[in-house]
Amino acid sequence: MRRFLILFLLISSCLLTSCAVQTVKGLEEKTPQATTYTTTYFSNPETDYVYKAHISVYGKDFGGIFIAKKINDTLYRAAFTTEFGNKLFDFEITDNSFKVNYILEELDKGIIVNTLKRDFTLLLKANHNISGQYENENNIVYKSGDRGRYNYLFTDKASGRLFKIVNATKSKEKIVIKFSEENNILAKKIVIDHKNIRLKISLNYIQ
Amino acid sequence: MKNSVFYFLFLISTAFGVAQEQKMSTAEITAFKNAVNTVAKNTKSLTTDFVQYKHMDFLSKDIETSGRMAFKTPGMLLWQYTKPYQYSVIFKNNKIAINDAGKKSEMNVGNSKMFAKLNKLIVGSVSGDMFDENEFTISYFKSAEHTITKLLPKDAALKKYIKQMELYFDKKANMVSQVKMIEPSGDYTTIVFKNKVANAQVSDSVFTN
Repeated sequence: MRRFLILFLLISSCLLTSCAVQTVKGLEEKTPQATTYTTTYFSNPETDYVYKAHISVYGKDFGGIFIAKKINDTLYRAAFTTEFGNKLFDFEITDNSFKVNYILEELDKGIIVNTLKRDFTLLLKANHNISGQYENENNIVYKSGDRGRYNYLFTDKASGRLFKIVNATKSKEKIVIKFSEENNILAKKIVIDHKNIRLKISLNYIQ
Repeated sequence: MKNSVFYFLFLISTAFGVAQEQKMSTAEITAFKNAVNTVAKNTKSLTTDFVQYKHMDFLSKDIETSGRMAFKTPGMLLWQYTKPYQYSVIFKNNKIAINDAGKKSEMNVGNSKMFAKLNKLIVGSVSGDMFDENEFTISYFKSAEHTITKLLPKDAALKKYIKQMELYFDKKANMVSQVKMIEPSGDYTTIVFKNKVANAQVSDSVFTN
């Protein structure tokens, strides 16, 4: 009986360890200093944010042009064309809503639309309600609830710059967005990486 | 494929100006088609620079990309973007080879239905298909500098991608100087050709990426 108990405890602890999200491991939990965090990327309504895109999905590679544009205080457009200019999709996104203006018939499948929706809604989400805060020497991480998942927003303590967003369930990281080669208002290089499917979207600013 | 080569000659010329458009008479249309055919038959190679403008209604300004194109009989075509990024596509031996900033891929034309459809506008204007009355309803117009053909797709599948395609032919050279592809949404892509050189020596090595 005792051996069983030990075994049970071992298995449980293994499960618990592997199940707990690793995102903020090693960081110290703090009381949030603010109730919301507002991202500054894609915030200028005068700017067309145009990126050369590379999409790698299950070993296949595609290229194209990704365009994001802030239309008004709450609304963004996210569109994608081939290099030749043919439109593949065009979405209207707010923090709380999502509308497909156009999507190429071949791409109009639930799993594809939902994946793109989640990715670009996360990328363009401006306002995050803070429910937790974690810190180490260099970073402050804000935790925010997002439709049954959590977003962890990694910022640099010194500059305040957002450099990573991790979208996770209670136990697993699902999407990681990294921003690099940027200042506070323009992310020149963005990588959207999926942990549960083999999909990676790389965006390089061109205009 | 051989036909594609001949008609690729269409995609050429220099200036473009918007002017009053008039419908052409039947006799004018026949003369125009003959002239274009003659130019096409006599063009064995062609190189040209191009500038592409992508217009979308919500953008502050069009997205501008540019590069060069080279064509050589029989059936070799290079479409290469050099600004603001490196991306090239080569059509050769019924295969499409893509080099996306160093990432290379290749596919058979026959196997990539979607690619073929999406790029029908570009490649189609190179092939004679664009003047196919079975595929398009074609109307002919003239301005001071151009002969303009407007093509409305008949095929339901193609209609989903292209509302109308417009080819602007330089009157003097009877070659295409500008292509405009209008999507069902009204957004459009314009490609302007310049610095065209016909029948110069073009090495086969140009068509490798």
